[in-house]
Amino acid sequence: MAREDLPVTGGAAASKAGESQGRDEEPEPAADADLDPVVAARKRADVRDRRLIRKLRQGDDRAFEELVGLYQNRIYGLMLRMIGNPEEAEDLAQEVFITVHRAIGSYRGEGRFYTWLYRIATNTCKNRIKYLRGRNFHRSVPVDETPEAHSSAADGGPLITLQSQIAGPEAMTEGNRLQAAIQHELAQLDEEHRLLIVLRDVQGMSYQDILRVTGLQEGTLKSRLHRARIALKDRLKAHLA
Amino acid sequence: MSSKDNSAERMSAYLDAELPAEETEEFERLLAESPAVREELEDLRMVMQLVHALPDVDAPDDFYEKVSRKIRRRAILNPDGLALSPVSLPFQVLSILVILTAAGLYMMAELDRAPAKIEADPDAAKYESEQQDSLPPLHQPVP
Repeated sequence: MAREDLPVTGGAAASKAGESQGRDEEPEPAADADLDPVVAARKRADVRDRRLIRKLRQGDDRAFEELVGLYQNRIYGLMLRMIGNPEEAEDLAQEVFITVHRAIGSYRGEGRFYTWLYRIATNTCKNRIKYLRGRNFHRSVPVDETPEAHSSAADGGPLITLQSQIAGPEAMTEGNRLQAAIQHELAQLDEEHRLLIVLRDVQGMSYQDILRVTGLQEGTLKSRLHRARIALKDRLKAHLA
Repeated sequence: MSSKDNSAERMSAYLDAELPAEETEEFERLLAESPAVREELEDLRMVMQLVHALPDVDAPDDFYEKVSRKIRRRAILNPDGLALSPVSLPFQVLSILVILTAAGLYMMAELDRAPAKIEADPDAAKYESEQQDSLPPLHQPVP
């Protein structure tokens, strides 16, 4: 999954970039050497999204295919980390894009498409979790990730892999065990806590975007995210000892 | 909220580089003074790194085809977007009940109609009785 388009830093610059969105006819931004590369990438992504949405509204199915291709891995990844079951995650991710296809006419273009998409995804996910809870569904944790799963530090994130946390010849096995443990403990967290950790720490979303997606106040986000991390840290203590 | 909670929240925001400059300086002073806060900060940092290092996962290769197929299927089943919607469901159920009730009443009326007709017209009843008598028995006794 490419994380390079994801805003990994928050702050004023990212916020300004987010606020400048929302006009369908915004021209391609001029090359600006002074612009932060992350902000510039965001701007380009937003302009591209608006172009695709315009085409989709005109009934261009290729534009929809392109949009799905751009975001399917992120949405699938979000669902998998939230639900823990690959089949459920795929079904949920499909539902998200079906909703996008159906509701694109009601998308007013205010704010980024990216955050609108994530709002649909998080609502879909929460509804499914409630439904599954009602059916006493037990999350299954994929111990071995998909073969194509890979770690990437291209987004400027920490150059760290789970294997690298453990020294010695058994690093790979231990890394996989730790990875499974993290997914398992993540799945045990309260749903709101899990969502914040997945959005921020797994997907690298900025505070500004998380606020837009969840509708939380900044103070609430900070305190809730901190409590979520503490809860996860406490749960992982046994595995890290 | 206690000051301890405040400093805890600032710890996460500090790790995310989301703390305003003024509070960052204040928090760094606290870090310099307190080994316990430093230790907690490092623990949290490690957890964040571990979570961030979870491998990326890709959607299946045929993801778009499946989405597209589902959209087409739903468009066929539900061309106007209303037939299966939750809003129209009560009306569908109501329509079925009305039809079933009407059919039931009609059948009951049909069952009652024949005796009522005979009672209302004695000649018709007599004629039917004669017709019955003139018919040969189904099983003639063998001589």
